[in-house]
Amino acid sequence: MNDSPVLSWKVAGLLLGLLVILATALVKPFGVSTQYVVTDAIVLHSAAPAAAESNKYLNKYGEKDDWSVGYGWMLVFGMFLGSGIAALATHRFRKRTNAALPSMWQEQFGEHKGKRLVQAFFGGVLLLFGARLAGGCTSGHMISGISQLTVGSFIFGVSIFASGILTARMLYKKKVSS
Amino acid sequence: MKLLLGLAIGTAIGAVMQLGGASSYRKILGSLLLKDMTIIKLILMTIAVTTVGIYALDMVDMAHMDIKPTYVVGIVVAGLIFGVGFAISGYCPGTCVLASAEGKTDAMLTILGGLVGAALYALVYPFMAPLISLTNYGEITLASVFNVSNGLWIAIPFSAILLLLVFRVLKDRYE
Repeated sequence: MNDSPVLSWKVAGLLLGLLVILATALVKPFGVSTQYVVTDAIVLHSAAPAAAESNKYLNKYGEKDDWSVGYGWMLVFGMFLGSGIAALATHRFRKRTNAALPSMWQEQFGEHKGKRLVQAFFGGVLLLFGARLAGGCTSGHMISGISQLTVGSFIFGVSIFASGILTARMLYKKKVSS
Repeated sequence: MKLLLGLAIGTAIGAVMQLGGASSYRKILGSLLLKDMTIIKLILMTIAVTTVGIYALDMVDMAHMDIKPTYVVGIVVAGLIFGVGFAISGYCPGTCVLASAEGKTDAMLTILGGLVGAALYALVYPFMAPLISLTNYGEITLASVFNVSNGLWIAIPFSAILLLLVFRVLKDRYE
């Protein structure tokens, strides 16, 4: 199965770099994880305004008595659109035989759709808890932060790869092929 | 206007990342198993370009920098938690958005989990204060630590090291 990316890492890295430079010139460096908080804030604020406004953390991200989407949220929504368009244009949309199961995961753990979805969900919980504690994720800390030579971002990068590499090794016991 | 700008830049970023393979579970787990270097090279290549660009812009006062505070203990703990989630889900907060757009349902669950994780953090935020105030050195960069006024003097050699890594050192190693 041909799974190789359409763009090489050289071209994709160059283009992505230019886009982050453009974003930094026009508005600010690029980051994703804050928008999970913004989404939570908007949802909670429409369901229970008092609860949202009394939460110190959500209050920081509800855009100043506004509680609506801003530039950063639209950027992440744009990423969703851009990825969908790119996948459709290159015939890679819904290419998996089972939409929930990455083939590599299936080779290792078998055809357990439920187990994979539970893993994906709890993985997401840990990702965003960690990202919010750090103040950024792979985009805000790793790419934008290290590019700005931020000391904490180097520390975050080392920390996520140390823990990610260790966890991946514990999960993947069988031999992996390309 | 700013909303449309965000949408436009985001769409371009999403398309480039998708075409570069950043939303592929196999590519991400391959990186963490240190077998497939595509994603690591993509990230390092991006940083090599961006760091020089941002500090060049900064020289002419055109960069809207956003330096995050360095609280060592909190960031290390956060990174360890994040790394486990990274390996278990096979995505990160941005790539699960990209993968969802490709119709991958596990990635949609990662987004949902992420919304729960962020809400959990908002709940316990008041108790996290010690982790954030402990060993907090504020908004420091390599340039400020070494007292270099023009960051390009660090960005250029740093970028050169990254380019050496991606073009000469890092190689895939499937048996």
